[in-house]
Amino acid sequence: MELSFIIIDDTELDHFIAKRVITNRHKTAHVKSFMDATLALEHIIEERGDASTKVTLVFLDIYMPIMNGFQFIEEFEKFHPDIQDKYYIVALTSSREVSDINRIKSYRSFKTWLTKPITAEALSVLLNKICKEFNIQLPE
Amino acid sequence: MADKIKILYIDDEMDNLTGFKASFRLDYQVFTSINIPGAIEHLVNHPDIKVIFCDQRMPLKTGVEFFEEIRTTFPLPMRILLTGYTDIEAVIDSINRGNIFRFVKKPWDEAEIISAIEEANKFYLANSMLSIKNDELQKAYSELDKFAYSVSHDIRGPLSGILGAINVAREMYDIAEMKEMLFLMEKSLKKLDTYILSMHDYYSLQRGELQISDVDFNSLTDEFKHIYTAFANTSNINFKININQHEPFRNDVAPLKLILNNLLSNAFKYQNKHNSVKEVELIIDVRKGVATIQVKDTGIGILGNHIGEIFNLFYRASSQESGSGFGLYNVKSALLKLNGQIEVNSILNKGTTFKVTLPTK
Repeated sequence: MELSFIIIDDTELDHFIAKRVITNRHKTAHVKSFMDATLALEHIIEERGDASTKVTLVFLDIYMPIMNGFQFIEEFEKFHPDIQDKYYIVALTSSREVSDINRIKSYRSFKTWLTKPITAEALSVLLNKICKEFNIQLPE
Repeated sequence: MADKIKILYIDDEMDNLTGFKASFRLDYQVFTSINIPGAIEHLVNHPDIKVIFCDQRMPLKTGVEFFEEIRTTFPLPMRILLTGYTDIEAVIDSINRGNIFRFVKKPWDEAEIISAIEEANKFYLANSMLSIKNDELQKAYSELDKFAYSVSHDIRGPLSGILGAINVAREMYDIAEMKEMLFLMEKSLKKLDTYILSMHDYYSLQRGELQISDVDFNSLTDEFKHIYTAFANTSNINFKININQHEPFRNDVAPLKLILNNLLSNAFKYQNKHNSVKEVELIIDVRKGVATIQVKDTGIGILGNHIGEIFNLFYRASSQESGSGFGLYNVKSALLKLNGQIEVNSILNKGTTFKVTLPTK
């Protein structure tokens, strides 16, 4: 699969919704779920060799205990650029806090941000953009 | 003795120091020094000195220079200059620059000194009251900021989840999947509900007056016994209660219940799922007017670097369960109100013990 997905969020319902919105669009999508951002980081380190995936779209919740989205992104930006290039990270937030949005914009690794809940329309716009950028053909 | 206003007098003439002390030591706690280093030593040892008298003409430094120098290092005491000379220019200049509260002519008149001390003391108290209020205000502002941030996430979070679920449900035809989603929706709503209830606890702890009554720990814990025993049975947790109270204990029941409920609910919530033996133990000992409450669990424990922060508002050290970030903060506020103390001992993956000590009222 040229495009796969990772969801990092501490709320089960939000995982369920994101997964469902993704698989509605594209039935056979590979979606990995992490309730704890530290485990997601470990996973990315281990997975680095997966050559068949061109890019992984990561939905990263900002507001989480232990390691929040910002702490995650700071760790992520320490990774080798070759690894970083394979992840397209989108910040997810339930608030429209200006301070959060500004902070999100200050990290180069956040490609964009979405206000929860994820909708089919928002995902569709995002996927079109990614497919163009990485030259990926998505199966319907 | 402890209530006497502390004053410090600096003069290079011993006779003046002795005379001053003799006149005022009955009404005030008087410290004297013949030179500046000695004065600084007094200020360091007694940070609650409220009024400083200093002679203007001294061999190494003038009183005005001394006051200017200590203004930043010891800003709190009120500074009063004593002078027998007419170098009034320097004095006026110093008063205008705010270095001196008053000046008193030498030789002094006792009544004048007393009135100067009383005035200075009033000023001192007003100033320190202002700085206390300022600190409280600062704290209230920072909590308000945290609140605004948390409300936008913790309240909007579950709501946006529910909205998302409704959206998704439009294209969902499988009943089993629908039921799974309803279960998760319920979980999110319960979390929101807990958040709002804890917010109410938070508010009532900040505002309410204490309502002291007799506390019987046996009947107080009956309620919890009932709720948690049911929970313990379904989750296979061994719940032990041990209460030792052979003397009366008086306190406010409402915050006491809040403390117990929060500690117990954490002990049950943060159990280690992989442990074969799961246990929660509540031990209450009342002895010599002090109640010691211990809540022990065999849970996941708390990482050392989180322990210092678990009592902070909205701080959460685990993603295992849905916490609001209110619980232990409310416990701490309740203990502050009841003059109690709390200690935590935790070993990662082994368990946590919270120990609360409370005096009777």
